[in-house]
Amino acid sequence: MTTPTTISTEQEILEELRATLLNQLEQGKLDLPLLPQVANQVLMVADDPNSDSSKLSSLIQQDQALAAQILRIANSPAYMPRSPIVSLQQAIAWLGLNMLSGIAFSVSVQSGVFNVKGFEKEVKGLWRHAMTTGLFGKEIARKIRHNVENAFLCGLLHGIGKPVILHTILNLRTTSETKPTWSVIEQLMNEYHVQVGKKLAESWKLPDPVQETILMYQDHMYAQATSPTKGAMITCLATHMASFQLDPSSIEEDVLRTLPVVQDLNFYPEDMDALMELQDTIRSSVECMIL
Amino acid sequence: MSNDTQYDIVVIGSGPSGQKAAIQGAKAGKRVALIEQNREVGGSCVYQGTIPSKTLRESALQIVRFQRTTEVFEFKLRDDIKIASLMKRLDQVVKAHGQFMKEQIGRNNIDLFHGRAKFLSNREVQINGIDGKPLTLSAKFVVIGTGSSPRVPDNIPVDHEHILDSDSILSLVYLPKSLTVLGGGVIASEYASIFALLGVQVTMIDTSDRPLRFLDKELTDEFCGAFEESGGKYQGEQKIKEAHWDGYSKVITTLENGDKIESEKLLVALGRIANIKGLNIEAAGLTPTSRGLIPVNDECQTTVPHIYAVGDVIGPPSLASCSMEQGRRATCHALGLDPGGNPENTPMGIYTIPEMSSVGLSEQEVIEKFGGAIVGRSKFNEIARGQISGMTIGLLKMIADPKGEKLLGVHIVGEGATELIHIGQMGLLNNVKIDSFVENIFNFPTLAEAYRVAALDITKKRRR
Repeated sequence: MTTPTTISTEQEILEELRATLLNQLEQGKLDLPLLPQVANQVLMVADDPNSDSSKLSSLIQQDQALAAQILRIANSPAYMPRSPIVSLQQAIAWLGLNMLSGIAFSVSVQSGVFNVKGFEKEVKGLWRHAMTTGLFGKEIARKIRHNVENAFLCGLLHGIGKPVILHTILNLRTTSETKPTWSVIEQLMNEYHVQVGKKLAESWKLPDPVQETILMYQDHMYAQATSPTKGAMITCLATHMASFQLDPSSIEEDVLRTLPVVQDLNFYPEDMDALMELQDTIRSSVECMIL
Repeated sequence: MSNDTQYDIVVIGSGPSGQKAAIQGAKAGKRVALIEQNREVGGSCVYQGTIPSKTLRESALQIVRFQRTTEVFEFKLRDDIKIASLMKRLDQVVKAHGQFMKEQIGRNNIDLFHGRAKFLSNREVQINGIDGKPLTLSAKFVVIGTGSSPRVPDNIPVDHEHILDSDSILSLVYLPKSLTVLGGGVIASEYASIFALLGVQVTMIDTSDRPLRFLDKELTDEFCGAFEESGGKYQGEQKIKEAHWDGYSKVITTLENGDKIESEKLLVALGRIANIKGLNIEAAGLTPTSRGLIPVNDECQTTVPHIYAVGDVIGPPSLASCSMEQGRRATCHALGLDPGGNPENTPMGIYTIPEMSSVGLSEQEVIEKFGGAIVGRSKFNEIARGQISGMTIGLLKMIADPKGEKLLGVHIVGEGATELIHIGQMGLLNNVKIDSFVENIFNFPTLAEAYRVAALDITKKRRR
């Protein structure tokens, strides 16, 4: 006698995963990943007023993969080195402390949280969207003369809950033997990434404006955000711009241009034209940051 | 054109000048339209200028006072107080002020339009809304109060990230270790002194031998002393060759003499330009001056008699207080109403740390006009209130005619200078004699007592 294989429909899998995920969220049993050690240390060094390049250099040297990525990025056309960069010290001298901190943080988060076996292509898509959102956030902030540095971090981390949900789903023990499809995972990520992201942001002790953005960047929420940096509102438009750039079929350009957030940011049609013109620059900057 | 779009007065810009022009028109029973390109009313004064910088200044002073009291109460403030906490307070003040102004406009039944204005002719103004849809208004009178924006020199690439202007400096989320400030005017001096007080290593660079050259030298000497005491440095008589972000970690400012100054951030505060771009003033028959301003007569009337221009768009003094009055007077003139006597002895307030304020003639002007002057001085650390408050800096100067009888000017540096000046202003407006300040009684202990001390100083210097 053979045991009958449980073949669940996609809907059944979705409902089961949703119930389990909700239960973990409500019980506070969500297994939150730690902030990758290097990212954590990079944040600490960057926050330290007495930090210098030697501290950051020794930190990066502890992680060979990270060091290799930094060298690759420093040599990419986006940073236009005068001569090939062959050492970490040279990369530090060329990229500078602030830029290097940003790259090191991004790369370590990417290789830590945004690293899921079996879904490499999809996760790379999530990371590409996060980076694109961060870079559009910078340009939107520049236009309205708000803080550019903060806007990048808000954009980069606004959807940090998504890869966490992916990790969680893949580690859940379900009655079904059928693996969830990407569309099921995507639906759950869209439904719960804000709640999960909020918990992760608290656990990682991310800066307040970033925490607020993770919680309130969506269209129906940004108006409730109170941070003077307007990270949530900026990220709301930045994430739409990123979606449009990465998949133009995801939103009609006319719809994008008339979103409430466009009006709330006081972006006139000519301001949106200027933002649209930045797409190629942002695309090439993102490509050189993708592992 | 339908009656709906016909107005007695169309005002472009809802800053201090435009707002007062619109309110005056509405109070006179006229149909008034007010066009604002931003979502909020109030203009740069509320969102990037007067209100935010003064709020930041006040918050910085409060933090420093609080830090000083920690010695008394034996506790310690965190060293990493983020500028964001200062900005949060700023955001609250700005929102409250903006809301108040919006309500005031609503109460006066002024039609508020959100969009960018453009002249189609001298009586037609097109509004291009944020949705791109145009609407054309016609008007018997038009008042232009579009304000000004920071001037960006060609050789300095302002990116609002490392190289900032006076708008984007307000978006800092942390205090930089070092800041170079280009300029020696009001905005440069205000921000330089605020950031120096907060512990930032500030270097001011300007072509002038001292900052705020239009003020009394004794005042600016006191200011420079306080600035240097906070760790600031003023490099005068220097021309900027160029400035750039090195792409790594610092901004490098190169002077004409070859010196290079490195800092984490750079603030460019080299004046402001009138906001006339996109207004298409040529279609209304107007031509800007070589400095990009709209030329007007004493009544703020342009070369097209039914078009007025007020506030920063017509150039100095570019003070919010004067702009408001210009707006009110322009509308009164347009409608044939009596605006009252011309304002005299307008005080000037500079919100540096310490504050500076001035009214009437300077010592030099009195000497040139009357062939001499008697100057009375009072230092704040020599009067009781100054001692109680621990003021080490503060000076009040009264300028009198060569006989030492008539008050002709008052110049103050120190805490409360911008409030204290109004006693001098009223004295000047009412031709109060120097002796009146000696013979009458002031509250004790107050800083106002400095007037009495300075007046006594003048009486002692009279020829016997």
